[in-house]
Amino acid sequence: MSVQEATRELSEVEPRRRTPRGSWVVVFREEVVELWVGGRAINLLILYSLLLGLMTFLLATNSELNLIPPKEMAFLTLQNAIFFGVFIGMIIGADGISGERERGTLEVLLLTPTSRRQLLFGKLLSALTPWPAAFLISIPTLIVVSQGNAVLGQSLWLGAVLGSVLALAFAGFGLLVSTWCNSNKTSMFVSLSAWLLMFLLTQLPGEVQKGDFGYFVQRINPMQASSEFLEKVLVNNRTISEKAPFLRSSVIAVVVVIGLLFLVAAPRLRLVAGRAHRARARWGSLAGMTLAVMLLVGMGTALGAPLHQQGSSDLALSIEKTALTVKAGDEIQFESLIENNGTQDSPPVILAMNIINLKGDVVDPEDWSPQRTQKVPPIAASDALRHDWTIDAILKGDYLVYIVAIPRPEGASSTSQPVASNGLHLTIGAFTRLNPEGVLPVVIFVPLGVTLCLLLVVRLRLRRLARDEPSPAPSAPA
Amino acid sequence: MGDATTSSVVLVAERLSKSYNGEIALEELSFELQRGHVLGFLGPNGAGKTTAIRILTTILQPSTGRFTIDGIASEHPAAIRPRIGVLPETLGLPNQITGIEYLSYFAQLYGWARSEARPRALSLLDVVGLRTKAGKLIRTYSHGMRQRLGIARALVNDPVVMFLDEPVMGLDPKGQQDLLDLLREIAVDRGAGIVFCSHSLSDVEGACDEVVILSSGRVVASGSISEVLGRARHDGERTGLRLRIPTSAMDRAGATLRTMDVVEEVTGLVDGQVRVIVKGPDRPLPADMVANEILARLIDAEVPVLGFEIEGSRLADVFMQLTEGSSP
Repeated sequence: MSVQEATRELSEVEPRRRTPRGSWVVVFREEVVELWVGGRAINLLILYSLLLGLMTFLLATNSELNLIPPKEMAFLTLQNAIFFGVFIGMIIGADGISGERERGTLEVLLLTPTSRRQLLFGKLLSALTPWPAAFLISIPTLIVVSQGNAVLGQSLWLGAVLGSVLALAFAGFGLLVSTWCNSNKTSMFVSLSAWLLMFLLTQLPGEVQKGDFGYFVQRINPMQASSEFLEKVLVNNRTISEKAPFLRSSVIAVVVVIGLLFLVAAPRLRLVAGRAHRARARWGSLAGMTLAVMLLVGMGTALGAPLHQQGSSDLALSIEKTALTVKAGDEIQFESLIENNGTQDSPPVILAMNIINLKGDVVDPEDWSPQRTQKVPPIAASDALRHDWTIDAILKGDYLVYIVAIPRPEGASSTSQPVASNGLHLTIGAFTRLNPEGVLPVVIFVPLGVTLCLLLVVRLRLRRLARDEPSPAPSAPA
Repeated sequence: MGDATTSSVVLVAERLSKSYNGEIALEELSFELQRGHVLGFLGPNGAGKTTAIRILTTILQPSTGRFTIDGIASEHPAAIRPRIGVLPETLGLPNQITGIEYLSYFAQLYGWARSEARPRALSLLDVVGLRTKAGKLIRTYSHGMRQRLGIARALVNDPVVMFLDEPVMGLDPKGQQDLLDLLREIAVDRGAGIVFCSHSLSDVEGACDEVVILSSGRVVASGSISEVLGRARHDGERTGLRLRIPTSAMDRAGATLRTMDVVEEVTGLVDGQVRVIVKGPDRPLPADMVANEILARLIDAEVPVLGFEIEGSRLADVFMQLTEGSSP
């Protein structure tokens, strides 16, 4: 019999059971059981809690780092929690397909009627499950290091949202890499290298991250941009909308990774990866396009520094206090007084506050104050206006704070004379409130708690296995 | 279009070829498989067996050629997949879950509801004799049990055709026999066609109705076992006999055999194995009488004959002859 004679129309073929559209749920459930009940996720979380505890303990006990105020401690802890939390998801994702290839389990999965997209979707969701657990584990540490500071609430919700976005991007990236790697080692190496590169960029000294190239890299690296966003919002009191452009690279990373995973990798998922040179070239061009998109975004967000206007007027400016001694982490409030000593109304004025380190070290005043400039409407002759200012004492040292009044120039061809206030001499001492002993119980008990969870899961599993043991029964036809 | 619904042919392969970067892995493979029949794929390493299986299971696309499974053409792999069951060489079993959980998982992937999947899994474990191990973790299973579980998984969707790649590899003789009996039962009771790859020639010989022998990607013989054996015999040429004799009687046996006119050569007089080459067409006795004459002379000389075999009467001989030059 020839193939032509043996072939039937598909409509003539008696139907088989249809695989439900939600078969990703079946894959997800199975993967979660293997991940959690098999102990891999919990083992990684034990390591994670130990690492987080160790880093927090070092932060709290190191004499140099003890200067760090609660806001910054909360930020650093949250940053570590997110970076290492998403790392777990990435590692699990990177094992998703290449691991199945290596263990020889992929072939039978590909032979089921479940679509490749559903298979990858179930695996992606399961790779995301350790992230909420990692975040929950980090909460006690965040509570301790924030020392009752209001930053805790913001840290929690920002960490949950931003961490989830990054977890999706990194788990998806790991899974994407694993779809084109035959060996698990290669998949892990590529994913780990990418994570390490992005992580190391966040650890570079501040000076290296400055300049056009530094800012550019900062914005295209989702880890670095997220870290910058969290720092500015949590530590430097900047608004979310002001720093939202820093989130673009994370969102774009999610869109690109998920798009590549489901639109490009899923339909091409094969038992053996990387055979076709053309496919490799396509991946290369896609990676290039991704990089190009991220570069464009970086450039877009790096541009646009605000321009300041200059003008002239006849004004007097003063600060009510002349000297203050505080500790790092304290909040300082003071008032300024602007007087119009002329005979006519003044033009509109911009008040700008500046902070100078008296040793000559560089200070970024934006880190110190949520509001560095204030707009002043025209001041009537012989009239005066008061303005409130707030500064967070970020670092130990000797500083001078002053305000400059900048009248708006009358036209494009004219200028104005800025007027400076007296200086407020600020002496900031070391931060000493953080008690290392407050961290120690968390460092010890959180990993212990996670380990107990693991033991509990193992015990429950063994009990379930004993309960599910079917009794021998007479043979029944399948 | 043919009327395949009433046909007992469940698999038709027509001139299937596969090449990688110009290197031929499989060339012009054609065969048919009847419902309830077992077909053995034989061939040394690199002969193209696994490539053929992967093409037929829709994992690979053929470079040229077509096939149908249960009347569905190879252009519709998604419609073929629910109709086949596969046991790959690498079993692909996870360690952290139990046998029943594993089969329930696959039953759900093939469309069974969660509530139906467990009874389905249990009944399949019954079929392969693993019911009592259903709740045990797969990592505690022996190799034979894992093979059986793999077969149960391949049966989960009531396949029309099953593909088994080296199912008896690594099993002890009893395990091999039990598994082969199980495969025959599956073929007969369920009416499934079975394609069975093996290095174990005696297994193929015992379990298969038909055989396809591949060498360097080419089919060198195909058909029923008796057809293949018949075609491979070379009448009129020198015939070899293999005898097993106790070591103590070896000298006597050698001396007796060398006095016979029909015997051209006696070799391998060690470890109880003797190979006797009988003379060609001009021998004094007809070919089918030579063996009887040799046996009669040995018995007369009071040489105990523990084993006796004519070379070329086993699939192994045909296999060696047809695949000469390839590494087995």
